[in-house]
Formats: sequence, structure tokens, C-alpha cells
Amino acid sequence: MPEVLESQIHARAPARTVRLNLVLQRLGLVAVIVAVWWLLALRVPHYVLPGPARVWDALKLIAANGNLWQDLGITLGRVGTGFVLATLVGLPLGIIFGANRRLGDFFEPIIPVMNTVSSAIWATFAIIWFGVSNATTVFVVFMTAMPLIITNVWQGTRTVNADFIELAHVLRMPSWKVMIKVYLPTILPYFFSGARLAFGFGWRVSLVAETLGSSSGVGYRLRQAADLIQTDQVFAWTLTLVVMMAVLEMGILRPLENYLFRWKKEAEKQ
Amino acid sequence: MNAAAVAADAGAITVRGVSKWFSTAEGTPLQVLDNIDLTIAAQAIVAIIGASGCGKSTLLNIISGLVTPERGDIILNGIPARNFSDWRSISYMFQEDRLLPWRTALRNVEFSLEAGSMPRAEREARARDALKLVGLESFADAFPYQLSGGMRSRVALARSLVQEPCILLMDEPFSRLDALTRAQMHEELLRIQQLKRMTIVFVTHDVEEAVVLADRVVIMAPRPGRIRDTATIALARPRDATEAATARQAHELKSLI
Repeated sequence: MPEVLESQIHARAPARTVRLNLVLQRLGLVAVIVAVWWLLALRVPHYVLPGPARVWDALKLIAANGNLWQDLGITLGRVGTGFVLATLVGLPLGIIFGANRRLGDFFEPIIPVMNTVSSAIWATFAIIWFGVSNATTVFVVFMTAMPLIITNVWQGTRTVNADFIELAHVLRMPSWKVMIKVYLPTILPYFFSGARLAFGFGWRVSLVAETLGSSSGVGYRLRQAADLIQTDQVFAWTLTLVVMMAVLEMGILRPLENYLFRWKKEAEKQ
Repeated sequence: MNAAAVAADAGAITVRGVSKWFSTAEGTPLQVLDNIDLTIAAQAIVAIIGASGCGKSTLLNIISGLVTPERGDIILNGIPARNFSDWRSISYMFQEDRLLPWRTALRNVEFSLEAGSMPRAEREARARDALKLVGLESFADAFPYQLSGGMRSRVALARSLVQEPCILLMDEPFSRLDALTRAQMHEELLRIQQLKRMTIVFVTHDVEEAVVLADRVVIMAPRPGRIRDTATIALARPRDATEAATARQAHELKSLI
């Protein structure tokens, strides 16, 4: 029996063939989408739906004049700042609300209210308070991401196993170590799914904020291109965003999650 | 061995006149232990048995310092519990294995050493030794979900042993294992006790388990919890639960409960 278990432990990630198969499937999906797009574009004027070739040219144009990387960097910086601030505020608050029942009960109604406030409303307020500046976008991302992180971390603290706390207590472990060694690892998966959600939301609302109150960034470029009816550039920017989200998700977040939570049973990972 | 274990009284436990009340929802305190007197010699193996609700787990928790009694004294290694500071020389093994699912077997064993400030390398070396002691050195990097019930129980035992305790307290530690695995764990525990010479106090529902493991059995009666009787088990070791002498002894004990 030990041999069987040992081989089970040393069995690593799925076989190569499975992964190759998946890559081929994804490529096939992209090919289908591009083909449908191409066919549709042949029948309508280019300012309504530009074809893939036209969008590719627009992409080369914005890449060549430097807008692409600069504005992408600006937007990413704003989303990142808002997200980091939301984490710095949301993580401790989630833990505090989770650890202190009375405080949690008191503040509980605020979270769903904050989650239902439209990002357009936050953007409007942000323009009143901060004008056309970086702070406007950062604020909108922050207000959208923070409640999501609080909610998830809060939920995570409720799953902390009292048995593990007792174990640490028997070992006379100081409470700050219990926080780091028991609370944090329990909360981490919840925080991670909250952060992922918050980052995605933050990214989307940042564009809304940038179209309304900014003179740089991807959102601003999108509006500018739309105003000038440069539909091919609108498509080029959109395509860039899609690719970037895919890279972030599949290149960073998914592998990180798989590594951090490798201790979970395969069935739980779904 | 650590400094405490070298002391003459290392591992000796005295429970003197201990009474304990729990507060209830109705407001009238419920007495769970009434005037318990018990002396446990160093290196002894003592079983505490009795009907459920007789306060045997509470008694174990009081010895471990988890619960403070309203009346009476605990003396550990010759030192009154209120002046006692070397709590890390006392290990507690729970009914459940309580392995942290996000840690490997090795890192779970290390957990016991992380309350203090021991350097990481020393912690790891000691944890490896403890895993070896329970025969799991090749599973150091396995996560709990990859281990069988018996192996998880061994990791929990290694975690209790890694601090080189002079007293090991166990609350029905093997009750969730199947009979065969439990018997293996009994052998394992006795082998390690022979080697390390710590005092073992364990609570059990299982009279056969008490007879196979213990030098002395304390029988408790409920409402309020008190000691009804103690019995010395003089059978030669190793003992086998299926042997007639063992069975007879178990039968005698059952009549005392």
C-alpha cells in the first residue's frame, strides 16, 4: 500500500498530451472567432465593423506612435494602485469584521449597499472631488474593489477552524503567530478569489472612469477614437485589453493559484 | 532531552483536591469535577476511563493548563502549575489529527516548535527525526490529503513527540482509527515510550485499549466527575488484546465502571 500512495504523491500535473490538446482547442476557438469576424466585416462599412486586417494596421499605428504602451502602462498603473489600496484597507477590515462579531454585525449592511452602487456614480463623485486626474480612476477602482475584498476575506475568517486555534493555544503560540500561521493561510484562498474578482472589476470600471474623467489611459483613447469615428482604433484598443487580461489571468494568476493552493484536493480545485 | 526532562521529578504529575464548575445557560453552575486526587509517577502510562460526561477530558485539559480549576492544585515536574513555565515539555494529542491541510507532513510536525524562536534548520532537523521515529520519513513532503488515516495519526503523534515532551497527554487519540491501525499505533506508542521514557496520560472509551497500554487505570464516575477506583495492570508486556488474560482484565475493569 505505501508504494501506491508514494506514486500518487510523486504523480505531478496532468500529462503533456492533455495540455497540448487544450492549447490546440484554444487556438481553434480563436481561429473561429477571427473567421466569423472577417466574414461579417466583408458585408458592412469599415467604420461600423472594421475587418481583422484593418484593425491589425491600426494596432501597428498606435504601437508605432507610442500610445499603446504608454496608455496601457498608465491604465495598468491606476488599476494597480487602486487595487493595492483596496487590499491594504480591505484585508485588515475583513479580518477585523470577521474576528469581532459585534463590529461585523454592525457594519454588515454597508457592504451590499457599496456593492450595488454603480461605478458610474463613483466616477461622477470622483470627478467632482478630484477633477480630471489619476486620483479619479484610482478612486473608482478602489471603491469597486474594496467591498469585494472585504466580503471575501470576511467569509474566509468564518471558516477558520477552532480546532487549529486550540492546537496553537496548547502549544502556547503567541497570538500574532496564530494570525500568521493559522488565520492567514485559511483566509488566503478566499482573499485570492476576492482579489481576482476585484482586479477584473477594477479593470473594467477604470475604463469607465477614464472615459469620463481623464486625459490619458486606455479609456481616454477609446473615447477619443470613438469621437473621431476611428472604429479600427477602438477595435485595436479593445483587442489589446482582451489579450492583456488573458495574459494576466493565464500567465500569472492561474499558475500562482495552482502553486499556492496545491495542498487542496483535486476535486476542490474546480 | 531538554533540561526539564533531566530534573528528578520530570514527568511526575500530582492532582490535589481539584474541583471544577462550568457555567450553564440557566445560570446555575454545573460541577464537572469533585475533589480529584491523583498521583502519577514519572514514566508511568495511565489511562483514564469512565462513562461519557464523567469529566475525564476536563481533567486532562486541567493537567495541560488549558482549563483552570476553581479549587485544588496541579503539580507538574514537582512545580505547582501556577509557577510552571515549561509548558512546551507537555504535549497534547487530540482526538482528531488536526493536521493543517496547507502544510506538508514535515511542516505540520514543525508547527509544534514554532511557538518559540528555534532556528528553521534545527526545527526541520528535529521534525525529520520525529517523522523517522514514527516511520514516515519518506512522506515528509506529502500533504495531509495524500495520507491515509493511520499515517495522519502518525504525523500527529510525531508532532506531539517533536518537542521531546516529558509528559504526553492524549484525548482518545486513536478512537477514529480502524481496529487494525489502532493496534499498530498502540505498538508504535509503546515502542516510543520505551525509548523516550515520557509519562503518558490518556483518556479512552475503550477498556481494551486501556488494558493493553496502561500501567494503571483510573476509573471515573459521572455527575459530578470523581475517581471511583484505580486499578494496576500487572500483565506482562507486550500485551495482546486477544489474549485470555488481557480479556479477563478488561472484563474486570468493565464491571468497575
